[in-house]
Amino acid sequence: MDCTSKLLRVVYGDFTLGVHGEGFDYIFSYAQGGLESLVKNGYEWLYRCPKPTFWRALTDNDRGSKFHIKSGSWLAADVFIDCKEVEVITDGESQGKPCAPDNNKYGGDVFAENVVVKYVYETITTPATTVEVVYSVDNKGKITVNVSYKGAQGLPELPVFGLRFIMPTLADKYMYEGLSGETYPDRMAGAVKGVYEINNLSLTPYLVPQECGMRMDTDWLEVSRRTSLNNSRKNNSDQILRIEKDKNTFAFSCLPYTASEIENAMHHEELPPARRTVLCVYGAVRGVGGIDSWGSDVEKAYHINAEEDIHFSFTIC
Amino acid sequence: MQANIKWLDNPEVFRVNQADAHSDHNYFMNYAELERGKNKLLQSLNGQWDFQFSINTMERPQEFYQVDYDRSSFDKIMVPGHIELAGYDQIRYINTLYPWEGKKYLRGAHSIEGAGDGAGMFSEAEYNPVGSYVKTFDLDSELVDKRISICFEGVEEAMYVWLNGEFIGYAEDSFTPSEFDLTPYIKEKNNVLAVQVHKMSTAAFLEDQDFFRFFGIFRNVTLKAIPDIHVQDMWIQPILNKDNASGKIIVDVKVSSTKDCAKSAKFVLADKAGNKLLCESITLADVSGIVEGTLTVDVETVIPWDNHSPYLYDTYIELYDGKQLVEVVPYKVGFRRLEIIDKVMYLNGKRLVLVGVNRHEWSAKTGRVIGMEEMISDMQCVKRNNINAVRTCHYPDQIPWYYMCDEAGVYLMSETNLESHGSFQKLGAIEPSCNVPGSIPQWREAVIDRARNNFETFKNHTSVLFWSLGNESYAGDDIEAMNKYFKDKNDGRLVHYESSYYNRAYEDTISDLESRMYAKPEDVEEYLRNSAKKPYILCEFMHDMGNSMGGLGSYMKLIDKYDMYQGGFIWDFIDQAIMVKDEVTGKEVLRYGGDFEDRPADYEFSGNGIVFADRREKPAMQEVRYYYGLYI
Repeated sequence: MDCTSKLLRVVYGDFTLGVHGEGFDYIFSYAQGGLESLVKNGYEWLYRCPKPTFWRALTDNDRGSKFHIKSGSWLAADVFIDCKEVEVITDGESQGKPCAPDNNKYGGDVFAENVVVKYVYETITTPATTVEVVYSVDNKGKITVNVSYKGAQGLPELPVFGLRFIMPTLADKYMYEGLSGETYPDRMAGAVKGVYEINNLSLTPYLVPQECGMRMDTDWLEVSRRTSLNNSRKNNSDQILRIEKDKNTFAFSCLPYTASEIENAMHHEELPPARRTVLCVYGAVRGVGGIDSWGSDVEKAYHINAEEDIHFSFTIC
Repeated sequence: MQANIKWLDNPEVFRVNQADAHSDHNYFMNYAELERGKNKLLQSLNGQWDFQFSINTMERPQEFYQVDYDRSSFDKIMVPGHIELAGYDQIRYINTLYPWEGKKYLRGAHSIEGAGDGAGMFSEAEYNPVGSYVKTFDLDSELVDKRISICFEGVEEAMYVWLNGEFIGYAEDSFTPSEFDLTPYIKEKNNVLAVQVHKMSTAAFLEDQDFFRFFGIFRNVTLKAIPDIHVQDMWIQPILNKDNASGKIIVDVKVSSTKDCAKSAKFVLADKAGNKLLCESITLADVSGIVEGTLTVDVETVIPWDNHSPYLYDTYIELYDGKQLVEVVPYKVGFRRLEIIDKVMYLNGKRLVLVGVNRHEWSAKTGRVIGMEEMISDMQCVKRNNINAVRTCHYPDQIPWYYMCDEAGVYLMSETNLESHGSFQKLGAIEPSCNVPGSIPQWREAVIDRARNNFETFKNHTSVLFWSLGNESYAGDDIEAMNKYFKDKNDGRLVHYESSYYNRAYEDTISDLESRMYAKPEDVEEYLRNSAKKPYILCEFMHDMGNSMGGLGSYMKLIDKYDMYQGGFIWDFIDQAIMVKDEVTGKEVLRYGGDFEDRPADYEFSGNGIVFADRREKPAMQEVRYYYGLYI
């Protein structure tokens, strides 16, 4: 059975689809509507399923230009989202949504060269639109994630569009190859390309907590954690999750809070203790602007039109 | 003369018995003292003072200045400091609102039909806190038997001074030195200095800056022994000739003297290496009781001063009693030439580009009370990030900052302490029906006096390229009179004021520059494309509130595109927020407007710095450093 070492072991469960290989174990959930468990070398990287993200905490300029009044519905869409469809494809062959009793046919572990799991989410915006998140797992455990937003007429401009991963515990640090400092599409001319290590995930201490920590134009990112919520885990060694660009560079932020948590705080001391890692990988980012803070919008080139499709991809190595 | 509490209500009373504003020069008895650095003729009165807080003038201890007044119930307070941060009055941040908004209906005296003369507006107000300060002191030995002045470098917002029970004087204009002669009443020991500080007077209409509203003695208080023969005022004007290689220097001195003796003066100019280039006598003449002299002399070879090479020469004015040197005044000056040619500003023959920032004086722990440590840190930050200009928004800064800018080659827009924003811009609209100072005669002298304090104090600073009439006070005859005051000095500097934009009737008479704030890049272009009249700058742009500074490049491109667009000043340098202990966790946290239950408030609108309130650089700084570096 030498060849099985190069194949994925697929477990057609009743609630989930398990995909296993040497050094990785992934659980794709039908019940939770997403990738529920991402284990590398026995170490869990997910607290809840990754979901599309549509919101960044307002900047002072956003408040001044009433961006939230125009686009506030995306905040609700960011917090509440429905998973409408799941489809599993193995070695190019659709398995549909292989729940019981259909999965009885597999009669045990199944081996495959690659596994694709496609989730379709529907937003609660009016009109509603959909986001497709497609995880393609190759036989080495590399996951290519394709995220596609379907533009819809009448939807207000987006603050961001991305995929949000929440990790069980706070990361110690992250390294990335990309731009120095905190950058935005309209504020990255002064940044220097390089490899950077960030040892402190704290929010940028803007007077009122707001969107921060964005890093544009990234080639790769490695998040380092050691801690775990698993009571039986004794190993405290450094664990690394690596994200790489696929076709294009990506933007990301890696912070202890979600946008809506930040949105709720008027002062930093109102935020809860930092206990998770919120990694958002973005395919589209709105500029921050700066002409004034009482009405002028971000320059037109740095808006995100929600009436047009957005697609981005990256890999989890 | 007796103090009169009604002065608080009267815009025509803003200084009583105050010495004339004069150059900020240092002076020494001789060169040995100068070398020593620490001036024995000065005695600091900073430190702990006795203090009592009252909610209004009626509640104040009226006789507290009497020598035998029982002050056993007084507290202690640190000078310099803000009374609010010492825990006495509510901390408050508001932008354009006047402090009485929603609490008391007020219109400036004489500003509108029915406004009246303001009698009782502040002197009888239910809420107008008073700080009664007392300092007892002995004179340091070096000061004994000399003429003694006292200098308050900053007191908000109106103050009365007594020494040993005698009334000394009254001052407003919170941000320039107020000096009084104490000689008639000073003693060697057990002097009782009493200062009564009022939170509001008519000056409140003129000091409506967008900042935390504080009161109290917030800058140094210093006793100054005045030598018998003393340079009371001086004005050194180094001029760079058109050849950019030779120069001229004009020196004016005013000498105050108690002695009838043979006085003479010399002017010395030396280069950085210490080579004496000039040593000229200044002819002194008694002009109606004041001894004055003027010297104009050519300098064959000079090294120009600018941002890249801030070359300063040492000058000395020496005063002699017969042949005996009795006073020496050192001052460093640079040769430069600022001019407008075909509507474009040039410095030393090169087109001037301002990559600037507006700077408030601020410390999260002590408010506008800052020391050398903060100033040095700010200057390092300015230099490190390719900033070449600072606007002292919206009041004159502490004196050392001007010397530091001379040394560092930082171009200063020295702004007069004036802002009456709440009197003409309401809910965003321009509504000047009760604007002060406007064209109201009763307010004119007060604002000219503020211009004079600015000019006279800082006129010797090479770094000052612009006099700014103030900020956001609309436009009228009074502002026009301030402009005339500066223009009459004919000192080679330019006058700046923004509000001609709001009232084009004064376009030609209140500013040498077309100055706007927060105009969009396309608005700037529109002006420059359509029969532009003056060099254009943005006295405020890129409002760096919170996470901002996006789109800076769109402004920077205009510098290449239009010669007449000559840059601007980012808003602003440092977040204004106050560090307090969190009432829940006990940790040090930053608070802003409204956090002290102060209402109405403007909340976080004071957090617009390119550095945070603790002086750490915001992430956007790399963008500023990059773009400014292309144009510095």
